[in-house]
Amino acid sequence: MYTKKVLEHFRNPHNFGSIKNPDSLGQVGNLACGDVMKLYLKIDQNNQGQDFIKDIKFETLGCAAAIATSSVVTDLVKGKTLKEALEIKNENVIKALDDLPTIKIHCSLLAVDALTEAIYDYYKKTGQEISQEFEQKHNRIISCQTRLKH
Amino acid sequence: MKLSTKTRYGLRALANLLGQDCCCSVKKISEAEHISSDYLEKIFSKLKKAGILKVDRGACGGYSINGDPKKITLGQIVNALEKAEFICPDFCSCQSKSAWQKIQSGFNYVLNSITLKDLSSKNKKIYLDYAATTPVDPQVLNYMLPYFGQDYGNTASMHQVGSASAQALEESRQIFADILKVSPKEIFFTGSATESNNTVLKGVALANKSKGNHIIISSIEHDCVLESANWLKTQGFEVSQISVDKYGLINLDELRKTIRKDTILVSIIHGNNEIGTIQDLQKIGQICKEKNVYFHTDASQSFTKVAIDLSKLNIDFLTASSHKIYGPKGAALLYIRSGSKITPLLHGGGHESGLRSSTINLPAIVGFAKAAQIAIKNFEQENKKLCELRDYLIKNIPKIVSDCHLNGHPTNRLSNNVNFSFDHVEGESLLLELDFYGIEVSTGSACSSNTLEASHVLLATGLRPEQAHGSLRFSLGRFTTKSDVDYLLKVLPQVVNKFRQISPFK
Repeated sequence: MYTKKVLEHFRNPHNFGSIKNPDSLGQVGNLACGDVMKLYLKIDQNNQGQDFIKDIKFETLGCAAAIATSSVVTDLVKGKTLKEALEIKNENVIKALDDLPTIKIHCSLLAVDALTEAIYDYYKKTGQEISQEFEQKHNRIISCQTRLKH
Repeated sequence: MKLSTKTRYGLRALANLLGQDCCCSVKKISEAEHISSDYLEKIFSKLKKAGILKVDRGACGGYSINGDPKKITLGQIVNALEKAEFICPDFCSCQSKSAWQKIQSGFNYVLNSITLKDLSSKNKKIYLDYAATTPVDPQVLNYMLPYFGQDYGNTASMHQVGSASAQALEESRQIFADILKVSPKEIFFTGSATESNNTVLKGVALANKSKGNHIIISSIEHDCVLESANWLKTQGFEVSQISVDKYGLINLDELRKTIRKDTILVSIIHGNNEIGTIQDLQKIGQICKEKNVYFHTDASQSFTKVAIDLSKLNIDFLTASSHKIYGPKGAALLYIRSGSKITPLLHGGGHESGLRSSTINLPAIVGFAKAAQIAIKNFEQENKKLCELRDYLIKNIPKIVSDCHLNGHPTNRLSNNVNFSFDHVEGESLLLELDFYGIEVSTGSACSSNTLEASHVLLATGLRPEQAHGSLRFSLGRFTTKSDVDYLLKVLPQVVNKFRQISPFK
């Protein structure tokens, strides 16, 4: 059912754990649905003065797909600028895992949502300008969460 | 017949080769197995010619298995090394010639059903999912074999081969009648427990419309009962679900109060497939008798694990399944108390007294009957062993894994069922990780289901969804040993801890 790549990430997930005093945090998912993802970011500035992800860690409660997508997302964005990281789509996650079963596609969405939330959290904390599009994205994720809680 | 030295040595060497991580030189294997290297070289070159082995060159040169060991049969290996024949020479015209041909075909069947993988002791699997299905007992398989070949007759045919089949069918029916203490006329064979349950729910509903349109089931039925009831709702029937307590026992008062004048059927599972809780058939039967409604029980999991004497119980319909008791898949039974009103689902040639038209699947049915006979013969001994292993796990899992909870009834449960919820982890990931350790179990987590919904059975016992997601079912069986469950106890804490470390909840 799962590709070899999914099982590799599932068995030996990269970057799991937490970061003490993270610069930002993104948490998505819902216990009732069985998937909760938490992403910790450490942000620094590169030579060009752009914010980039210096370190990233995840904690996930969920199935093999949830763990594998969390792991692969951390790989995809580590070292990337926040702008680049925001470009990551769930298709990129699925491709990096050589595919996901259709019924598990929502796990890849969850991983991308957690990343979006973590970056949103950082923008808010540092008082950076948030585009209308980004705000909408954030609101969609939040509304999803509340809906799930009912 | 005795295997030739060549074949015996060949099999030993292949088993050794299977255990190696990469290709292996003849010298290494000849030393390990005490076979002269010249002789082994001859054997290997024959196996290579037959496509069973291949030669790899280079630093790590030597022989290796050519292809998937699961697809290489013992028949191929034996044929590569010797001429294993039972057939009389062509010129022979003795009376027993056809008998030898049958022996030869049976022999080939057995050899081709064993694969190279079966020779390997590496990657041994510990199967703890007997509630999902069971392997066919070798005695059962042997008993079934003639019914594919020489005894192939259609039970509905009048000639001799047909009559012999009809007789075998009736003997099978008698075996179940004796076990359940009913008349053989009340035993009907179907293709699966799902079919039996569908037949009862739909067949009783449709045949008793004049009495009413109300059906009662429990909140912990198997999907095939639940979905049949849901379908009946779309056809204008009303369905009530009886709740269960935290152990999964149905509320008998609620059942009594829910039965109405227009209730036609009560269907309650006997031993639950997920949590193992066993319902009190005597009490439920009594209530249904007082209220004059039909009572059906799905005994797919409990049959041969709990004694069921239908002469002493008020039960109108009962379902039992072959593949849960070491019989083949594709056979099940439905007991219908004589005089009960039911409409068939399948119409046609009028098999099974018109209840279930379909050519009789005789090999599966005789296998089912044989499996039941073996299970009943060993009833006490086998269930005693299972209860001991079950209770050993129930006692020890909480000692070695923190924050876990037993699901189902502590004592009144199927002899082979153990079900635990583990806090802060998810079942599918536990299942897959255990699978890497060679332990095969199942989970009530939504993530492993097609609907992404947690088990309705666990939720009905009052578990929160996250607890249901973190559940594992270990179901034991005939071939489970103490060392198997000890291995589980050794592996389980590290598996649970691995995912608790990854989990945001500690």
